[in-house]
Amino acid sequence: MKSSTSLGSLWDTWGITAILVLLLAVAPVLTPDFFSLDNAQSVLRESAYLGIVAAGMTFAVASGAFDLSVGGQLALCSVVSLIGFAAGGTVLAIVAALATGLACGLLNASLITRLSVPPFVATLGTLFVFRGLSYILTQDGPKTLPYDQIGSPFVKIGGLNVAGVPVPFVIMVGVFAAAWLLLRRTATGRRVLAYGSSPEAARFCGISANRLRLFVFALVGVSVGIATLTYITRVWTADGSAQDGFELKVIAAVVLGGTSLKGGKATLIGTFSAVLLISVLNDMLVSEGVPSAYQRIVLGGVLIVALTIDGLRTRFAAPGSLRRALSGGRTPQPGPAR
Amino acid sequence: MADSSTPALLRVDGLTVEFPGVRALDGVHFDVAAGEVHALVGENGAGKSTLLKVLGGLHQPSAGTIGLAERPYRPRRPADATHAGIAVIYQEFNLYPDLTVAENVFSGREPFHRFHRGIRYAEINRRAAELFATLGVRIDPTAPVSSLTVSEQQLVEIAKALSVGGRIIVMDEPTAALSADEVTRLLDVVRRLRAEGRSVVYVSHRLDEVFAVADRVTVLRDGRHVRTTALADTSPDELVRLMVGRDVSAMFHRDDVAGGDVVLELDQVSAGRQLRDVSIVVRAGEIVGIGGVAGAGQPELSQVIFGALPVKSGRMLLSGADYRPKGPDDAMKAGIGFLHEDRKAAGILPDLSVRHNLTVSVLDKVRGLFGRLLSPAGELGVFDTFRKRLAIRTTGPDQLIGQLSGGNQQKVLFGRALAPGGRLLILNEPTRGVDIGAKVEIHHLINEITADGAGVVMISSDLPELLGISDRVYVLAAGRIVGHLTGDDRTEENVMRCATTGQRVFSATVSG
Repeated sequence: MKSSTSLGSLWDTWGITAILVLLLAVAPVLTPDFFSLDNAQSVLRESAYLGIVAAGMTFAVASGAFDLSVGGQLALCSVVSLIGFAAGGTVLAIVAALATGLACGLLNASLITRLSVPPFVATLGTLFVFRGLSYILTQDGPKTLPYDQIGSPFVKIGGLNVAGVPVPFVIMVGVFAAAWLLLRRTATGRRVLAYGSSPEAARFCGISANRLRLFVFALVGVSVGIATLTYITRVWTADGSAQDGFELKVIAAVVLGGTSLKGGKATLIGTFSAVLLISVLNDMLVSEGVPSAYQRIVLGGVLIVALTIDGLRTRFAAPGSLRRALSGGRTPQPGPAR
Repeated sequence: MADSSTPALLRVDGLTVEFPGVRALDGVHFDVAAGEVHALVGENGAGKSTLLKVLGGLHQPSAGTIGLAERPYRPRRPADATHAGIAVIYQEFNLYPDLTVAENVFSGREPFHRFHRGIRYAEINRRAAELFATLGVRIDPTAPVSSLTVSEQQLVEIAKALSVGGRIIVMDEPTAALSADEVTRLLDVVRRLRAEGRSVVYVSHRLDEVFAVADRVTVLRDGRHVRTTALADTSPDELVRLMVGRDVSAMFHRDDVAGGDVVLELDQVSAGRQLRDVSIVVRAGEIVGIGGVAGAGQPELSQVIFGALPVKSGRMLLSGADYRPKGPDDAMKAGIGFLHEDRKAAGILPDLSVRHNLTVSVLDKVRGLFGRLLSPAGELGVFDTFRKRLAIRTTGPDQLIGQLSGGNQQKVLFGRALAPGGRLLILNEPTRGVDIGAKVEIHHLINEITADGAGVVMISSDLPELLGISDRVYVLAAGRIVGHLTGDDRTEENVMRCATTGQRVFSATVSG
């Protein structure tokens, strides 16, 4: 029998972290002021909103599905949060962001569980719906944080440091810690993994597919709500086009981290490292003066590499695993109904 | 119709088919005359399906010859069989549900229009209608196949076989999913095919059909040819004896366990597609076997008890109290464990460790700190308990379950089923796909479980196992209980008679 701590499982959890460490080692050579306080803070601050959503998305991918609507959710949460801030200050802005995220997640969940729409299709649809709503709410121009409110606690979230560490990064670390506990130390987290590993077997372990999906998609929504707090207080403005293509960046980070698109296997440590890797890579490209069009190409390359690694990892898995991932764990009925 | 003077159209001699570790067919001979209906019978695993797949070009034999009209026949792919005029209709149909009936019948051989290269729909619709007319049935050639009933889909397969000029039509369990009326209609179609001079190989578990339609019958057992005889020269009882005919191996051991209070009672329960008016009783400390041919409703019965299938009518009682599970989680909370018949697809959680595979049924009971978080020590404790009790051979709790042997995987799943409390266990095919050593261990284990006071419902298609370790046996046929065998009535002959002829056998007294 093979040892359970084989090289393969070590790579699954720590591979991407090793690559991140390598990248950090060569970063100062390419970018001399990489480890300057300013630059380091900027990288960490920039990684927060991607990381927080990626933590939530890790659960969706672990359950064998993914949420394509997070880009639309982020735009809508941002716009609603800015409207909330204009109407009622810090508290309303925070409540608006979290409530909008939760509402988006619950809408996705009910489409998937009540109407039996596959997650891929349901969230592709709501991606357009959420972006459309954001555009409607910003018809008379993008919503912005007014400069005269710079002293407000809400506006400070994005720029403040605690002992030199940016607050958004602190929030992200907190979210990952909570997510790790949820995944590894609660019955719900275990059920997510069980369901992602084999939906049919999970059913006979007393795991309700609908309850589980409701939880997972609501969780993704809430993670977007939290991410909005760090995002909008950094960019100060939002409309329907905010963070175009965000959903693929998030899924790229999750898969790059080592969570299998097939479901059943997840690593939050990997997701965390992959998010930092993407942020560091971005920062290096920016400081080298690489035009943003090329940055997109690099992200695309990273995504392909990530999916190739996932493909190699699951090459020996059952055929149809990709189709299963796309349809969110439902195995299609073979042949005519009998 | 078919006597020894008629030259055989199809002749199989010394056919042997080997799979890794198994000899599915061992020197089988078999022949079919022109214009004959030849039935092929035998228990599950006797080799009928393998023989069919050889004829259909899906399996290649390791030894033996097949002759078709005095010429060697060596199909290497299904198309070879079609070209030779042999059409095999498998239990799983080969139809495209979204295409029309006519498109399916002529799929791959559609006549195209000379100018615009489109399919000549008028022609295929007309020709399909003609084929159905010769079969004496009416099916709309333009209807999508997905809108047809199972029996109509079967007729589409038969029409497809006729359209390629099939001389020999092979049907694998054609009536398994048909109602009584549909069976009558299908048997008429088979007789029409024979009247046209075609040959039919008819594989069925149901001996009444075999006697109604076939000219000769060949019995297979454990991959070997037992006998070929004209139906006129035999009886259902003799066929049953020939199909079973082997010693119940001494390896099956059942401790004497006194039955206790009634744990589970089903009262006229109907559920799913075919389970109808099922009433059974299971006592504490008792192993109750459920027998029957494949597809008689065994999975439905086990799932309705586990709450995975809703009750349509009737009621269930657990220790005398009303039992209405909304889902498997309710069943598990009541201390019921479940073992699925398909270990690979619906048993193991392949990405999880052996420990997590086992404790997934008791996650609510291994909470530690703050009452919300799982306790790793608690989980390890549960795992260690069952590892010792079930003698699970693993390198450690974190080994992936896929790395264990089939028998050890099964023991982990036994642990999962026992962990919720061991009040009642529903075991589907508990020893399927495990080696002989593990099989004995598992039987021993089931004995121990009942000694601890659990009631066991065991569904098994392995007759010696079913009879060897069950205290009582219910026999299911077409979703109904057709037999209840206790004491000396628990014989393979009785089970097969109930299961295949629909004859009802109920033992007089219920022994504990």
